[in-house]
Amino acid sequence: MEVQVMQDILGKNDRIAAENQALFADKKIFVLNLMGSPGSGKTTLLERTMAALKDELHMAVIEGDLFTTKDADRIAKYAVPVMQINTSGGCHLDAPMVQEVLSQLVLDRLDLLIVENVGNLVCPAEFNIGEDAKGVVLSITEGDDKPMKYPLVFKESSIVLLNKVDILPYTNFDMAAAREDIHTLHPDVKLVEVSCVQDTGLKDWYDWLRAKVRAKKG
Amino acid sequence: MCKECGCGQTNGNTRLQFNAKGYTEESAKTVEKALLGLPGVLFVHIHAHDGETTIDYSPAKTKLMDILKIFSDHSVEAAL
Repeated sequence: MEVQVMQDILGKNDRIAAENQALFADKKIFVLNLMGSPGSGKTTLLERTMAALKDELHMAVIEGDLFTTKDADRIAKYAVPVMQINTSGGCHLDAPMVQEVLSQLVLDRLDLLIVENVGNLVCPAEFNIGEDAKGVVLSITEGDDKPMKYPLVFKESSIVLLNKVDILPYTNFDMAAAREDIHTLHPDVKLVEVSCVQDTGLKDWYDWLRAKVRAKKG
Repeated sequence: MCKECGCGQTNGNTRLQFNAKGYTEESAKTVEKALLGLPGVLFVHIHAHDGETTIDYSPAKTKLMDILKIFSDHSVEAAL
């Protein structure tokens, strides 16, 4: 008797995400799915991170963008392996896209893989790619109302980076309200205020990454 | 599903509307905050004066019982 499968319970994306996750577990690589709006400062944060940690950790970056290799070109300047995924208009990365480029990275040598998702506060939070943790960058210029307007990305993220705090005095961004809203949505989330131009908070971010890498290595 | 652009599969988010009794202005804020702290709750709106409470949530991440427990923990009687 033929058994018909009427529904793929996990869905293709979740199945591939599970495969990616198993591979990352086997290789003991900590994988961060970094999300945020266009212009929030994700790539600049990664540039600073690569410069600070490249002699300490074996890192690689996967860049997600609709078009161009502009972000990958910026990361490549730090002599860190980087892959660019162009989604050709797609608003997020998914697990199959990530799986396709993994064969081009030397995973045996990696401690940390950061996947910079397509700039978007909505869709990337809906798709697992096999990561250990999600993180979100929210810049001061986006406004303090964004956590409650885009709650899922803040609920899903293990770390929130409030970026561009150097320009806080010149905006009406209410830091206390933003912090309260983020902690309301996700009481246990790690929240770091950073400025990539003034070096504010970057040590906390690096220490968080170091701790996650150590934990993954066991 | 990502409702803004229609990509992906449905994530099963659902909206519940409760009629609740026992709110004060202060407890309504506390309940709202407690509900938003549940993993699957994405939106809460409470009219403290008439008890109308709207909750958008993912049943895959938060059980209805968890929501009801928040009401009872704050001495609010809520019915769908």
